[in-house]
Amino acid sequence: MMRRFPIGGYIALLVAVAAMVLPLVWMLLASFKGQTEIYSLPIQWLPSSFAPTNYSDALGVVPFGAFFVNSAITTVVGAGIKIILGLMTAYALVFIEVPFKKVFFAIVIFALLVPQQIVIIPNYTLVASLGWLNTYQGIIVPGLASAFGTFLFRQHFLSLPPSVLEAAALDGAGHLRRLWAFVVPMSTPTIAAVALVSVVTEWNEYLWPLLVVDRPNMMTLPIGLTLLQNTDGITNWGVLMAGTVLVTLPILIVFFVMQRKIVAGLTAGAVTG
Amino acid sequence: MTPRFDLSNAFPNGVTRRNVLAFGAALSGTALLAACAGPSVGGDVGSAASATPAQDWTNIKPASSITWWTNHPGNSMATEQTIIDGFQAANPGIVVNMVTAGANYDEIAQKFQAASGTDSVPDLVGASDVWWFRYMINEQIIPLDDLAAHLNANTDDFNSTLYGDYEYNGSHWAMPYARSTPLFYYNKSLWSAAGLPDRAPATWDEFDEWAPRLSAVMNGAAPLGIGKGTSWAAWWFCNIMWGKGGAYSSDWTMKLDQPETLEAGEYLRAMINEKKSATVSATDSAADFGAGLSACTVASTGALTGILKSSTFDVGTGFLPAGPKGAFTPTGGTGMAIPAGKTPEQQLAAGMFLKYLTDAEQTATFSAATGYMPVRTSAMEGATMSAIYTQKPQFRTAVDQLKNARSQDWARSFVPSGDKYLTTALEQIMLQNSAASDVFPKASADITTSYEQNVVPYL
Amino acid sequence: MTSTATRPAAGETSGQAETGPGARPGTVPPAKRNVPDPAERARARKLQSRRTQARNWLLFVLLAGPNIALLIAFTYKPLLQSFYYSTLQWNIGSQRAINVGFRNYTDWLTDSTTPQVIGVTVVFTLATVGGGMVIGLGLALLLNQKLKLRGPARTIIVAPYVLSGVAVGLLWLFVFDPNFGIVAAVLGAIGLPSPAWYNDPQWALVMVIIVQLWKNVGYIALIYLAGLQAIQADVLEAAALDGAGPVRTFRRIILPLLGPTSFFLSVTTLLSSLQSFDIIQAMTKGGPLEGTTTMMYEIYREGFVAGRAGYSSAVATILFVVLIIVTLVQLRFVERKVHYS
Repeated sequence: MMRRFPIGGYIALLVAVAAMVLPLVWMLLASFKGQTEIYSLPIQWLPSSFAPTNYSDALGVVPFGAFFVNSAITTVVGAGIKIILGLMTAYALVFIEVPFKKVFFAIVIFALLVPQQIVIIPNYTLVASLGWLNTYQGIIVPGLASAFGTFLFRQHFLSLPPSVLEAAALDGAGHLRRLWAFVVPMSTPTIAAVALVSVVTEWNEYLWPLLVVDRPNMMTLPIGLTLLQNTDGITNWGVLMAGTVLVTLPILIVFFVMQRKIVAGLTAGAVTG
Repeated sequence: MTPRFDLSNAFPNGVTRRNVLAFGAALSGTALLAACAGPSVGGDVGSAASATPAQDWTNIKPASSITWWTNHPGNSMATEQTIIDGFQAANPGIVVNMVTAGANYDEIAQKFQAASGTDSVPDLVGASDVWWFRYMINEQIIPLDDLAAHLNANTDDFNSTLYGDYEYNGSHWAMPYARSTPLFYYNKSLWSAAGLPDRAPATWDEFDEWAPRLSAVMNGAAPLGIGKGTSWAAWWFCNIMWGKGGAYSSDWTMKLDQPETLEAGEYLRAMINEKKSATVSATDSAADFGAGLSACTVASTGALTGILKSSTFDVGTGFLPAGPKGAFTPTGGTGMAIPAGKTPEQQLAAGMFLKYLTDAEQTATFSAATGYMPVRTSAMEGATMSAIYTQKPQFRTAVDQLKNARSQDWARSFVPSGDKYLTTALEQIMLQNSAASDVFPKASADITTSYEQNVVPYL
Repeated sequence: MTSTATRPAAGETSGQAETGPGARPGTVPPAKRNVPDPAERARARKLQSRRTQARNWLLFVLLAGPNIALLIAFTYKPLLQSFYYSTLQWNIGSQRAINVGFRNYTDWLTDSTTPQVIGVTVVFTLATVGGGMVIGLGLALLLNQKLKLRGPARTIIVAPYVLSGVAVGLLWLFVFDPNFGIVAAVLGAIGLPSPAWYNDPQWALVMVIIVQLWKNVGYIALIYLAGLQAIQADVLEAAALDGAGPVRTFRRIILPLLGPTSFFLSVTTLLSSLQSFDIIQAMTKGGPLEGTTTMMYEIYREGFVAGRAGYSSAVATILFVVLIIVTLVQLRFVERKVHYS
């Protein structure tokens, strides 16, 4: 079937891609510009040099290395435990028979409707009274419970062939063994997808860490980034954009390398079966 | 593959009454756990002053380690570390842990308020001009007069306005640290192109005369670029308002309906919306000025270094113009306060560090590094400052202008959200051409309500 | 001994009677045993059932317990505490508070800025949900065409969704700068002045809506694309054979088939729009003139900037109730739709 070259389609695609890319390119270019290049009219598109002055300034003003380590630790540990909790809960909800199971499932599901911002004052009070301010557990634990992950895993487990697990049960495999030796290996694509979405969410978390951390050596990247905004002086866009590049680049790299799995994770919420 | 919505197959029978009841039962179970944390509730909250018994400092030994919360005003982290090193060398028994508790004064305040009653309350905390009063009524900080006397901190040497800003009920609740005033910045090349003398206008009337001549050399653009937003608009506007004899309030009495205050608002409205001698900057009026978009601006002394760095023309500075009733400038920035609820040993150690931090030598060092005001009279003419004046003559203006400094009106600085309500009114005047007589009464009513709800019960 | 549980049919009720023979639908029948006496067999089963049930409980608690405990500790308990705080006159740092009943609620409902905040919330939500779904569907239709490089294009279009909201806000703050940003430069090139993004409340709202759309529209397109790809080719071929044009096919076949996807997106984007905070905080801090103050932002500002924890909790409670009502309405709506199809 011969079709006309879809020129309109390509133009639309180009516009869409440009709208997404242009702001990011603008950020990248600005991160190399000096003050006078940024504040010049008409605007100057290209920096006069690609010397990383703004980057060294940003790194000098705030400890980005520590931010990076903190973001990495909270993201990996937070997302990791979250996945394990989700798997265990989903398994229990699907494969273990106890009365009132529906109530526990309801507890998981209704939690999806409670925005974390609404409960932030009481949670802060609790975390502070535990002495968890400026600690990794203070950043991680309140957001650790898995509601959406549990839900997705449950949907997936319900679709697993019951015969395999029945056979395993007849062979004398206990629940824990069935979970790790059968259910988990049969669910790796779902687990990977949910894990990557969790990683992205944890990495970008802003309001909660902003509240519980006040020491720079414990700050995560999004919080540290706002330290570059100088309130009393004058906006230094070059340094600020350099910081923004440092915050966005790692997650963009992860996204481009693992985009298939991340896309699968994002769509898993909507498409099941 | 069939796309399906999650929750629709979560409950195949739909959300039934039974599900909801089960959920409700679970929820009320957790209600039993909910009652424990948070504040204690009573009908009367008592008075801040009476709840603070006098401390006898004579037999107290300073603690060996204290924590200091700062936002490093003016990128001063390195300078602050130098000051700490000096203090520790002079007092080998005391270690000072510096903590970046936020990017700005509001963030420090948020953290401090939230940390109250927990282990993580610092021993010394940044207390900005709009926050210290709230710390005080919440009984989160201690009065410093006895401690200062015990330590011979020589508070008489503080600039009296800067120290007086922290006075309430006869006690001082903080010491001045990183303090700033707004300055009038002007672009010398545009000034000379317009044939104006090389100085800031002495009065707003003079500015009105000069403005058309500046516009003429700027393709008709408005010469004065001014800023908006909370913590800013209602702060620098004090200059115009006080100059015309107006005020937001006098102690706890609202003065927004006074003819002089309304006249000042009207002046601001006309300047932007009729005379076109001023325009409101989008994000950063100091940056717009540095880029040459405006011929002059009102900006903080703290912005001086940034402006000099970003501009390609000669920058002139002068006092804020005077009004018919005189020349006045507000002051801002942050002081340092000592939290309540710490042991006397910690408070004493914090007091010793605070005394060192604000002594003549350190305030000059800090001022030289950041562009904030030296807070002691003796420091203003010392060797360190003299060297700075030679290097950055513009800085001298800021120090000299302190003679025009006046303490803030309580309606803005003491009433929670007072600054927000005033900013809203001023933004309506500036951006929407509203008459002051239409918007000030609402600000006045809102501030009064906030005062009655958030201040009166605690006094 | 065999373990008893097998997978129950989805939706099967599990709250059955405590014990009793035959009470466990999932039990594997002990067919291989040769106990002849039925009464003794029943007793043995009863005993085994009890034991199994105890063990099941133990396992269930072991596996699901930690997660559920965390949900109760950090979601449900604070939710109730928040209701309680909403009845207090309480400054966030203070150790003491006054019980004021429902005054915080009446104060908010009668405050003169409240209609404005509700208006901003409604406009922001409708524009980001409605606009996002229309643009997202358009992008999905585009990406569903047989175009070269559509794979990389899809990746790029989704990319902003994974970026930090604060970073996105800061970068767009510079993009929208009316003097030095690219929006002004592009508009200037075609002879238009830059709108007063930061000084005009309406334009400021438009600005944060654009940024929210930029960040999230790729996600919406992705979900729609998955929905489109799930539509069987023969359905579309049949429509083509019936002589239906592309517009008719879209309206009569594609759109209805995407109904559940649209519903899913309307719920998820509605929830995320109502909770949107990072972008507004980084760009406008709710200003100018409260022009971008949504209910979510007001909760933050009253609670943590103004320090009125009780008042803030009252607004949070109202927002939560609205959220529940909207979600329940949507659920009822979809139940009908799903039963219908």
